Amino acid sequence: MHNTRPAQITSPLISLSTGRVKLVPIGLLVAAIGIGMAFFFGEAAGGYRRFSFAYLTSFSFLLSTSLGCLFFVIIQHLTKAAWGVTVRRIAEIFAMCLIPLALLFLPIVVPVILGRAELYPWNQAGWLEEGGPLFQMKLDYLSRNWFVIRWIAYFAIWAFFAWNFFGKSTKQDQTGDVGLTLKMQRSSTWMMIVFASTIVFASFDLEMSLSPLWFSTMFPVYFFAGGVLGGLAAITLTALLLQRSGRVTDEITVDQYHDLAKLMFGFTFFWGYIAFSQFLLIWYANIPEETFWYKFRFWDSAWGKASWALLIFHLLIPFLGLMARTVRRNKTYLLFASIYVLCIHWFDHFYIVMPQYGYGIEGDPIEGKAGFPFSWWIDFPCAIGMVGLYIALFGLIAGDRPLVPKQDPRLGESLNHVNP
Amino acid sequence: MAHSHSKTSKPAGPKSKTIGLLAQFDNQESLVAACERARDSGYQKFDAYSPFPVHGIDPAMGIRRTKLPFFVLAIGMTGCVIALIMQYYTNAVDWTKIFPGYAFYISGKPLELSPASIPVTFEVIILSSAFATFFGMWIFNQLPRFANPLHRIARFKRATNDRFFLMIEADDAKYDTNRTRQQFEEWGATAVEHVDEDLTDQEIPKFFKLAALVGLFLLLVPPVMIFRSYGGTNRHPRLHVVPDMDWQDKYKPQQVSPNIGTEKEPVYLYADDRAMRAPLNGTIARGDLQEDDRFFRGYEPGTLPPPAPKTADQSAAETFVSVRGPNAQDGAPAGQDPATGQYPGEPDWVDSFPAPFQVDEKTLARGQQRFEIYCSVCHGYDGNGNGRVNQRALALAATGQAQWTTAKSLHDPAVKVQPVGRIFDTISNGRNSMGPYRSQIPVEDRWAITLYVKALQETGIQPATGATPPQQ
Repeated sequence: MHNTRPAQITSPLISLSTGRVKLVPIGLLVAAIGIGMAFFFGEAAGGYRRFSFAYLTSFSFLLSTSLGCLFFVIIQHLTKAAWGVTVRRIAEIFAMCLIPLALLFLPIVVPVILGRAELYPWNQAGWLEEGGPLFQMKLDYLSRNWFVIRWIAYFAIWAFFAWNFFGKSTKQDQTGDVGLTLKMQRSSTWMMIVFASTIVFASFDLEMSLSPLWFSTMFPVYFFAGGVLGGLAAITLTALLLQRSGRVTDEITVDQYHDLAKLMFGFTFFWGYIAFSQFLLIWYANIPEETFWYKFRFWDSAWGKASWALLIFHLLIPFLGLMARTVRRNKTYLLFASIYVLCIHWFDHFYIVMPQYGYGIEGDPIEGKAGFPFSWWIDFPCAIGMVGLYIALFGLIAGDRPLVPKQDPRLGESLNHVNP
Repeated sequence: MAHSHSKTSKPAGPKSKTIGLLAQFDNQESLVAACERARDSGYQKFDAYSPFPVHGIDPAMGIRRTKLPFFVLAIGMTGCVIALIMQYYTNAVDWTKIFPGYAFYISGKPLELSPASIPVTFEVIILSSAFATFFGMWIFNQLPRFANPLHRIARFKRATNDRFFLMIEADDAKYDTNRTRQQFEEWGATAVEHVDEDLTDQEIPKFFKLAALVGLFLLLVPPVMIFRSYGGTNRHPRLHVVPDMDWQDKYKPQQVSPNIGTEKEPVYLYADDRAMRAPLNGTIARGDLQEDDRFFRGYEPGTLPPPAPKTADQSAAETFVSVRGPNAQDGAPAGQDPATGQYPGEPDWVDSFPAPFQVDEKTLARGQQRFEIYCSVCHGYDGNGNGRVNQRALALAATGQAQWTTAKSLHDPAVKVQPVGRIFDTISNGRNSMGPYRSQIPVEDRWAITLYVKALQETGIQPATGATPPQQ
């Protein structure tokens, strides 16, 4: 007979406690070394422009992952989900990372304010000399001040949302007030709509405007699908690592992992579905102002291989690899799978951002820069450094707070959650 | 114990078969416990019945996880292969003698499998997987089953209400009526009953087999008919599925007037034998009241001279040409006034662009675009009368293969002095061998072309793109 677990915390350790004393300085050290290396070698290889591209890749990776976690928190409240209560705090903390990420956006936005067009070619006069009314709209939209105002708005909205959920949830740990849950549920409705709108325009601004002449209304969905996938992998990986270090051992059960893996599986395929839809429409319509974005990603020999790699390693392998029930319930396997998904999610952003380093605004190769620019001395340390920073931020935000919403009214239901 | 009152517990005749023993339990806990005991006693073939899903019953019964997902995966992959073969065959193979595919190039896309094949493949995988799930569930649950011997047991009806049942089948290797009954009582059953299956009327009626045979035969008819008519011709009139729609009680344009006489001595309802009626005099379609002579016809109101007396042929021809401009006849009126460009016998043409037409960059650009579509083929892009049609026609005329009047140069001094109203009229109604463009070009566009012609004349013979608006 199935025994009902009481709604109480039984793990001996449910916060980072002394762990963060190690986590934060090590993370910051890794960040300093990694980003420093990227800056130094990037400067040597191609000036600040080279570093900007590597930095934007890793920044987009972290931003989309955090946004995926924020989405996870909002949708948990929106659907009154009980199963995910015990992993929701991890997602809340990653969503809170959106606040310091605003500071990490400075290396991208300050050069824009200073009028430099190394990253965003639209930030110089005369980038668009002729074109129809659609291009005129682009010209109006992609202006320096308007870009900065939009980013301030995005981060203000995200920070408010993240703080709303994290603040109320941690307050509930103290008071046990059920009203806070009701408040969060109510606000999750309109927040989801606003969140969807911000992510649409943020994806245009962050990555799509690197190719300002390109048209694709599918791109925000592509960005979103990848971000949620990254968020789910980050939540799974964090939960697994926390449990390995002896924290929240009893609260996050194999059934929570099973569901997270199901969602990862679903979003893997959703990502593939969207990526393919974007490609198919452009391939079929065959209009020059759309095809150029794919043209240099397919006709350059190295990027052509990267396109196939993305199809195989971002879609087919995780699709088959996360399909079976037994592997979704195997923690060792999931540890590997979530690291894998995060790596390939980083590569997805590399694939979006980096080709613009070597190809001009209309997809024509830039002398001496065209080709596959991955560097073990620039891109790799930059990614590792940013992840280190992310871990340090996690440690700082989590602090001594419980890693489980220990007074949540649905905690009992979550603890008793069983996948049939 | 049940021998005394239940109709199913009549002494089993020669035509019945023991199915198993059914035990009743009063709560789910004892059912789950009994399931565990049955599993541990080594029974394999038994089933539990409860009014609601009981948590943890599957492991208690020792049920292995369903194999359905593997079945669905296999069928889904089969669907994938079939979809790919189907698309390749229909789109790229046309060399087979019978039932060839359609190897047509469309939008320059490859015939063979391409990204465009993926959506279809995807949908077929989904469809076949859905079918596999639905029908696979039936197969794995041995459905449909028209009758179950358990339904003959009165107390079993409470399985949908408040009682829990466990049945061990007689087919089980460990089954022994007495021992199993004893075990049930040990496990807390509140009642134990024998389940028999009535074997009378087990035979399928003979006409069923016959009907199935006939049905199978009839299934062959459509493919045979398709095969027979493949590539052949059919002399029969077409089938009218909805006759009301094919033969409607109404008359269409160009049909003969209804016959109110007899077939031999027809009397037609209308004297002209036509079913089609001309609108009443003065009838105008909504939005077609074109009162403003200046804008719609290009002359000052009230200056249209009375029409010349018509010959009988002209009158007949004009019956169906209701709105025809005043100068559509061939042959230019002689005696142009060199100063005003006016011709005697013509209305007083407007010499400025009439409201609501606006003279600006936008209408000029529109005029250029329309001019290059409609006019430049004969008059040339720069208006010097040497368009592509003119060149070709002159070449043909030189060898006597065509008759051609050279297209007018718009820079001809006689044309240059013409007021805008007359140029507008020429575009609308044609002149000499030039046909009317009234029905093809809307009024605003005709004025826009007029504007562009004026601009061309102002700039002289130059490439068309160099034209500027005339000084008004």
